[in-house]
Formats: sequence, structure tokens, C-alpha cells
Amino acid sequence: MNRDRIAIDVQEVVKTYEEGRIRALSGATLQVREGEFVAITGPSGCGKSTLLHLIAALDRPDSGRIVVDGMDLAEVRDLSTYRSHRVGLVFQLHNLLPTLSASANVQIPMYEAELSLWERRAKAQRLLEAVGLGDRANTPPIKLSGGERQRVAIARALANDPPILLADEPTGNLDSKAGEMVLDLLRTIQQKRGVTLVLVSHDAQIASAAERVVRMLDGRVVDEGLSGHPAG
Amino acid sequence: MPFFMLIFRNLLRQRIRTLLTALGISLGITTVVALGVVTHSLKATAEDILHAGGADFAIGQSGSADLSFSTLTEEQLEDVAAYPEVNHAIGVLMAFSSLGSNPYFVQLGIEPSDLEHFDVPLLEGRYLARGATDEMLLGEEGASQLDKNLGDTVELKDRTFTVVGIYRTGNVWEDGGAILPLATVQEYERKGGLMTLIYVKAKVGTDLDALTARIEEDHPELATLRTLSDYNEVDQGMQMMDAANLAISFLAVFIGGIGVMNTMVMSVMERTREFGILRAVGWRQRRVLQMVLGESVLLCLIGALIGSILAVVFTRAILIFPAVRSFLEPEYTPDVFIRGLVVGVAVALLGALYPAIRAVRLSPIQAIRYE
Ligand SMILES: Nc1ncnc2c1ncn2[C@@H]1O[C@H](COP(=O)(O)OP(=O)(O)O)[C@@H](O)[C@H]1O
Ligand SMILES: [Mg+2]
Repeated sequence: MNRDRIAIDVQEVVKTYEEGRIRALSGATLQVREGEFVAITGPSGCGKSTLLHLIAALDRPDSGRIVVDGMDLAEVRDLSTYRSHRVGLVFQLHNLLPTLSASANVQIPMYEAELSLWERRAKAQRLLEAVGLGDRANTPPIKLSGGERQRVAIARALANDPPILLADEPTGNLDSKAGEMVLDLLRTIQQKRGVTLVLVSHDAQIASAAERVVRMLDGRVVDEGLSGHPAG
Repeated sequence: MPFFMLIFRNLLRQRIRTLLTALGISLGITTVVALGVVTHSLKATAEDILHAGGADFAIGQSGSADLSFSTLTEEQLEDVAAYPEVNHAIGVLMAFSSLGSNPYFVQLGIEPSDLEHFDVPLLEGRYLARGATDEMLLGEEGASQLDKNLGDTVELKDRTFTVVGIYRTGNVWEDGGAILPLATVQEYERKGGLMTLIYVKAKVGTDLDALTARIEEDHPELATLRTLSDYNEVDQGMQMMDAANLAISFLAVFIGGIGVMNTMVMSVMERTREFGILRAVGWRQRRVLQMVLGESVLLCLIGALIGSILAVVFTRAILIFPAVRSFLEPEYTPDVFIRGLVVGVAVALLGALYPAIRAVRLSPIQAIRYE
């Protein structure tokens, strides 16, 4: 990890929906350094999720460039490998497959890695232990609390050891205590594993846990929050 | 968890729906397999008829729509017997009539002296006496259906016959019926001097192809019958059965396919969001395709298994009818079950194609937004 290297470079990105009628992003620009913990805030509908999804290569921008770890996403051929190995995603809701145990959920991204059945199982167990759910491996999501489910989702996001973790309102549906725990866990992972963490939240208090807070408005980044950064 | 288990788990989510769909498919498979067994067995019976008594081939009247319409004369019998390669030519008149619980009791009229050359292994008793008019050889199955033993009498066509022998040839149609003096059958059938088939035993080392070709060339009104395809020349029933079999199988596949498609479309639509998550965490389109097709194939294999079992039960069950028992002995050859399996997989792939393409085409972003 090199704190001076740019992990995510978003340049003048435009994204519209419904043949241009909806402008979700209108020239968003953002840089995130390797190993950094950045929170993106802004009012509902300002384009936070859209930006995160574009960084995760779930969709392509209309114009502008997104460069992740030196790779221009427009030129990435194998988006599946990018999604499974370069970034880990945590959503706000409906994250897990309801019929599978916690362990099986964590193993889902590993099907795209060259791992044996036993390696998958062992790795899922390690990851569940890392999020404090080592004893819930065989429990289905329905028997887990909201906070526990989100921790399983975090373990799944780490399945193939991606260097970048993207979380979209991961505490949005949790009470403040469970939200606190999830936030602590994400921060611990960022520090211990050295992953780059981008967290989206409309809640300023949650966002304040980050090293840097980026503010968005109407599809643009209006404040990159660089002033408060120790290295800035 | 192995990928296969993932597929299996997905089927277990909607157990009732899975079971009902599998049952729907199984009915189609039952039809295909049961018809396959019946056709195969009837063909085996037909082949048996052509080689009854250990004959090399049989001769019928060419162009008969049904074997029982074939009529041959004594002159034709003599003509055939006159070929130097022919060792024995045996005329047989077949008759069918209702007897006891069997509406198609088979009667073979044979000249008693010909029985020396017509292989009918006796279990007990003796052959028909020369010149006898009221003696009968009873097949083992026929005897048990009529509940008759050696020495008993059987009422048939207003006549009384004495059972002088019980035989077993291993052919269901012969063993379910009786062998009677030719003249007697000709008399009560009002077919004096006529026969249905001539059974030919050639001399050892005869080129049968050449012999049958020559007989047909010399006598265009005769059809030599060695194989099942020859059999079609004197009986169109088999061809009609094959055509019906094919048509019904297609229908079964079509109906099954629609059922599977319906289930798979529902199942894919319900899981739109899940497919989005799978794609978002890096699953390839190919893997999603494998999963959906895998679910469909597994569903249909369950259907095929149930269907095959039902087909066996069904083909055993129809044997309670003596009429069926006298010309059908179900043979369960692997190929009919393989055909059922192939049909099952075809139904699965056909039915899952559209839903699978839908699942694969879902953009992850659209799927995740789906609420
Ligand atoms: N798939 C979509 N189709 C149509 N409109 C969309 C789609 N995704 C996002 N939008 C619209 O784009 C805007 C930005 O949405 P989003 O990125 O979800 O904002 P945020 O996450 O900040 O609340 C909103 O107006 C939203 O309705
Ligand atoms: Mg959002």
C-alpha cells in the first residue's frame, strides 16, 4: 500500500438515465488514495449510489473516465474478474441470498476464483471469524440480526481479497448501536488490511468517522474535503 | 457449497412448485417411455410370429392391411414346398375369438402331421393325433387363464375339445392360445383349404436372401416375411403405431416444455434482484446461464425419474387384462429409458432457454434497483 498513489480516479463523469432525461451525474470528479477511508455524503438523489456503481463497474458512464489502480475501466475487457477480485461491494438492503447459510453467502464470489470446495469453506470461515461471526457459519440470513447480516455482507465483499471496498449506506437500515458496530468493523478492516474504503452515507455523523468527507450535490462533487487531510 | 448444491437448493425453495412441475414433466415422460415399451414389446411379438415354430421365415399374402386378412391356398403351399431349398413348408390358419376372459384368444390351425417339424415344446401330454378333429394343445398361459389342465375339455365355437398337451414356446401370443387341427379351424372359420401364413424351414446353408427374393419374384402375390420391416408389408398396424408414438411424444415434449418454461420464467423473475447481486459480485454470464439451465435440467431429471417409474407401473398394470397379456410381454430395454431421459433433458433445455437468456441479460444495476 502506498498512501500517495491514487487508487480511484474519477474524472468529469456524466451518467444519465432514460435517454438523458434523468441526469444522475453531471461531471463528477473525485480522487481516492490507496488505503484511504473516504465518505461520500449528500442529499438523497444527488448521485452517490450511481457514482459507487460506476466505480464498481456495474454500469458504464456516458462520458468521463474512471481509472482504478491504473486501469481505465472503459478498457477493461473482463468486467467479471474486475468485479469479483478488484472491488468488494456492500449494499444497504437485500444483500444476501435468503436460502443460503452465512458461509455459503460468503462463498458466492469465490466461484469465480480457482478455489477448491474445501478452500472456499475454510476461507469463508476465516472471513466470518474476522467479522465476529465465526459461530454463525451455518445460520441462514433470516435468523441473523440486521447488523449481523451486514457483517456477513462485508465478509462476502472481502471474499477474493479485493484492495477496494465500496459500501453504499451499509448502516442505513440499522439502529444506531448496530450501525456503530458495522462502521467500526469497516474501519478496522480498512486499517488492518490496508484496503481503500469508500463509504456512501447521507448521514453526516456516520460520514464523520472517515478520514475525509466528500460532499456531493446534483450529480457533482462540490467538496473533496482535502483541506482536513493530514497529507493534503 | 458445491455449485451443484446451489442449483439443488434453488429448486427446494418452492418445493410445491418444483414437485408439480416435475409431475407435469413426468406425465410426458411416462407417455414416451410407456409407448416405447409397448411398441418395442409388440414388435418383439411380431418378430416372434414371423419365426414361430423355429421357422426361418414366414410367407403371407402381399398387400394385406392386417395379418388376419392374409389368405393363402393349398396350391401356394405346394408351390413353396416345391423349392429345392425348402425343407418344410407348414401352413397355419390363425383365428381369434373370445374365450373366457380373453377377447382375443389365439387359435393356430396346423396339420397334426406338421407338428413334427413345427417346434412346440410340450410341458406335458402329447401332440395332436393324426386325423383327430376335437383335440387341442393349450399354451401354458392360456391354460392358466382358462384354469384348464391336461385331459380337461374346452368349449370353443360350439365344439368341445380335449386338452391333450400343454406347451410353452416362450412367445406370449402362442402361449396365451391354442393349437388345433387345421381342418377343424378351416371348417369353423369357413375358410376351407385356406391358410394365413406359411412357415418355411430351409435346408441348412441356404442363402435365405436369395430364396425369399426368388419366391417373391416367382409369386408376386406372396410376401416373404423375415424381419419387422417385411412385416409391414402384410400389416400396417406397426407403422401406424410408430407414427402415433412419435406424434404423442412430440406433444408430450411440447406440453412439458411449456410447463417448464412457465416455472422457470416465474423463478427467474422472482429472483431478479439475486441475479443482480450475483453479477455485481462478479459472476460471469456463463455461470448464471449454467445455474438456470442446471435448475431446469435437474427439475426435468426428477420428472424423468418419476415418469420412468410410472411407465413401469403402468405397463405392468395393463397386464391385468388377459387380452393384453396374450400378445404383449413388456420388455424394459435400456434404450426406452434413455429416450425418456433424452426427452427430459430436451424439455429442460427448451423450456429454460428463454428464461435463462432473460436472466443472463439482466444488467446488474437494473436488477439491484429492482424493488
Ligand atoms: N436505473 C435508474 N433509472 C432511472 N433513474 C435512476 C436510475 N438510477 C438512479 N436514477 C436516478 O438518478 C438520480 C441519482 O440517484 P442515486 O445515485 O441513487 O442517488 P443517491 O444514491 O445519492 O440517493 C436519482 O434522481 C435517481 O432517481
Ligand atoms: Mg443511494
